[in-house]
Amino acid sequence: MTRVRVTAPRTAARPTPRLSASSPALESEVGQVYVRSLIRSQLRLAVVVACGFLVVLTACGLLIGLVPGIAEAELLGVPFAWLLLGAGLYPVIGLSAWLYNRAAARNEARYRDLAQDG
Amino acid sequence: MSPAVGIAAFVLVSVATAVVGFYGLRISRTTGDFYVASRTVRPWWNASAIGGEYLSAASFLGVAGLILLSGTDALWFPVGYTAGYLMLLLFVAAPLRRSGAYTIPDFTEARLESRAVRRVTSLVVVAVGWLYIVPQLHGAALTLRITTGLPSWLGSLAVVSVVCLTVVAGGMRSITFVQAFQYWLKLTALAVPVVFVLLSLAGNNTPPVADAALNPTSLPTAGAYQNISLMVALLFGTLGLPHVLVRFYTNPDGSSARRTTLIVLGLLSVFYLFPTVSGLVGRVFAPELADGGRADALVLLLPGRLVGGPAGELLSALVVAGAFAAFLSTTSGLVVSLAGVISQDVLGGSVAGFRLAAVLAAVVPFGFSLASDSLALAGSVGLVFAFTASTICPALLLGIWWRGLTDAGAIAGMATGALLCGGAMVTGTVMGSTTPGWLAQPAAWTVPAAFGVMVLVSRATKRRVPASVTRIMTRLHVPERKLATERTFVPGTSGR
Repeated sequence: MTRVRVTAPRTAARPTPRLSASSPALESEVGQVYVRSLIRSQLRLAVVVACGFLVVLTACGLLIGLVPGIAEAELLGVPFAWLLLGAGLYPVIGLSAWLYNRAAARNEARYRDLAQDG
Repeated sequence: MSPAVGIAAFVLVSVATAVVGFYGLRISRTTGDFYVASRTVRPWWNASAIGGEYLSAASFLGVAGLILLSGTDALWFPVGYTAGYLMLLLFVAAPLRRSGAYTIPDFTEARLESRAVRRVTSLVVVAVGWLYIVPQLHGAALTLRITTGLPSWLGSLAVVSVVCLTVVAGGMRSITFVQAFQYWLKLTALAVPVVFVLLSLAGNNTPPVADAALNPTSLPTAGAYQNISLMVALLFGTLGLPHVLVRFYTNPDGSSARRTTLIVLGLLSVFYLFPTVSGLVGRVFAPELADGGRADALVLLLPGRLVGGPAGELLSALVVAGAFAAFLSTTSGLVVSLAGVISQDVLGGSVAGFRLAAVLAAVVPFGFSLASDSLALAGSVGLVFAFTASTICPALLLGIWWRGLTDAGAIAGMATGALLCGGAMVTGTVMGSTTPGWLAQPAAWTVPAAFGVMVLVSRATKRRVPASVTRIMTRLHVPERKLATERTFVPGTSGR
């Protein structure tokens, strides 16, 4: 590794870094169409996963709050409300994240294929 | 607990922190190293470091304390703290890493091509950082007072001094190692005592003292509004925390930023099981610990109370060590990111400026912490989340996903969120326990207000959409080339 002079990483007039790795995406109109569709699909994916998680969260809140007796019902000696909120929601969070990562990587792979062909 | 145990635990953690920090010093050479550890940190290291930095006094002490006080209502806190990372993964992690910016103000300035936006963002970031450091110092003060009987301010002073020393000496590279080490220390320090407490309860056949459903201080249960508003704050607040964001720049590329976040979610989920169990055990077997405003010290007092003897002392020492690790790691993470912002915007961006800024970033909240009273730790940190959710979060989310955002819109939205949420926080502090619910948990209305103003003003100032928006959106969302090298991102070569 070469020695680098210690300087400020940015100055007042620093231009935003130019794209180097993905410049073909900028040069053609077709490239931009692909980029826009990538952004749309990533956003749709994120919103779907977030909404799915929020639905589960709301359902848990309603279950505990509205179904009489369910919060106190014991499972393995621990009240159900404690099990659900204290431990049960974490696997849901992890699963959502794992599914999202796979789908997001798939969107990017699809974009790569398109961009290379085009 | 004997005072010597507490002091020994603190000294040990400080020394260990310093040793790991100075070990890192040897490979910290350039300004790039100082800010983001040259973006060469592996996902597991990085995830442990993120966990170490994120798990603050609120998580280590506050969650268990709040569960002791308010039962299942408080269980939403750890769920929200964890799910906040899910939101961060979904909307922010990879694009932000690809932006190539070092700090949040760097990002907003590059995205909106505006120095004014940069200045406003910097102000908000510094405010958030200072607000977040204060509860850490309150936690340190509480821990020192409870465990050693020494005056509270000494605890805050000790944390500030150790943090200043490590940050000034090593910068971010050593911080990464320190933080990663501290996640595992914190997990051990909570998990081992909990296991021993459970074993001793089972071994002695200790009868339950109280019902888990009853609040020991007869605190009223929170309404649906309170819980929803809290979740809004925690879910959307996490992705705007400055010390969390700066960590994402240490990933080599966008997809490793996502992998890192997934690991973080696992680490947090495992961690939060233990304060939850501590809180439940405290409620059922030692509800008297809720009296006298020391509920936040529950995890510190539980081993001595339920295990007792020399084993109890040892376990207490371990918890105290973990608690100080929590204060040190979160405070140093915040100080590093604040120092990055202050030094670049005020002091010209040199390494010397960074060091001076680090001291500034730590000393100001120290003053605040001396002047203010400690509230419930989880609650006061929850309010900081509400503040970031109403200011930085809309600017980041709209900046990453909406081409129509303008500098005027971003400034108006952040100002609206800061005024509304800050106003609610100040009013709440003045009114104390008589604060109505909608003011005590303001996120449910301040966050939509900030988003709304940001969108409306951006719409009204359409002509200010920067010409570079297409280029930047492409950069944020297009995956890196598979074999991209670090060289591509070296500041000063890529921009010319």
